[in-house]
Amino acid sequence: MAMLPINNSIREKRFFADEMTQQELADLVGVTRQTIMAIEKRKYSPSLEVAFKIAEVFNTHLEDVFQYRPDE
Amino acid sequence: MDMSFKEKSTWISFFSTVAIFGYYFWQIIGLSGLPKEESAEQVLSLLIYVVILTVIVETLFQAMLSATNHKAAALGADERDKLLEYKSSQIGYTVLSIGVLIVLGRLITIEYNPGFADHMSSVQIPMLTAHMLMASFILSEVMRFGSLIVFYRKGM
Repeated sequence: MAMLPINNSIREKRFFADEMTQQELADLVGVTRQTIMAIEKRKYSPSLEVAFKIAEVFNTHLEDVFQYRPDE
Repeated sequence: MDMSFKEKSTWISFFSTVAIFGYYFWQIIGLSGLPKEESAEQVLSLLIYVVILTVIVETLFQAMLSATNHKAAALGADERDKLLEYKSSQIGYTVLSIGVLIVLGRLITIEYNPGFADHMSSVQIPMLTAHMLMASFILSEVMRFGSLIVFYRKGM
């Protein structure tokens, strides 16, 4: 399946956040672990609300976590 | 297998619908040789039986699933679950619409050509129109659950 155009660095951010698990991030954001997995694999683009929540968890800006990459 | 709460719930609905209504339609086809009055009575009791059975099976298994997944059950459907449900509902709706159009076509044909029902129908089942509508509805539900499972398995 083709990857969606919104790239992300969630895996890296989790690693530097004391190796936060997908489940921990999912609980903090209010989605399922499978949704976090789908976002990381670029199979699902989150809503703006969830994207902002993820950035907030890592205490950073939205563009630092998500980047628009239509050509990849 | 790594499954979310909603996917497990969908599998329960898929299997219970296929099993119970598969049995229902198998029994309905078996009634085609019986006299009309006798089979009409059996059809009605069979319909009531499968509806009650579906409610019991769904309630029992969904309650068992919720009891063993408190946190996930409390969270409910997240935005991805809702998007996938929307996509699968579109597929189910298309199937239901096709089924309804076929039944409508049959009704209109019978209206203009009353002999069609007797000469063209290979199965003489009482309340055939109702069963065709029921089959459309059940098939649309099976397609809805089935496509939702496919979406979940693809990791969309």
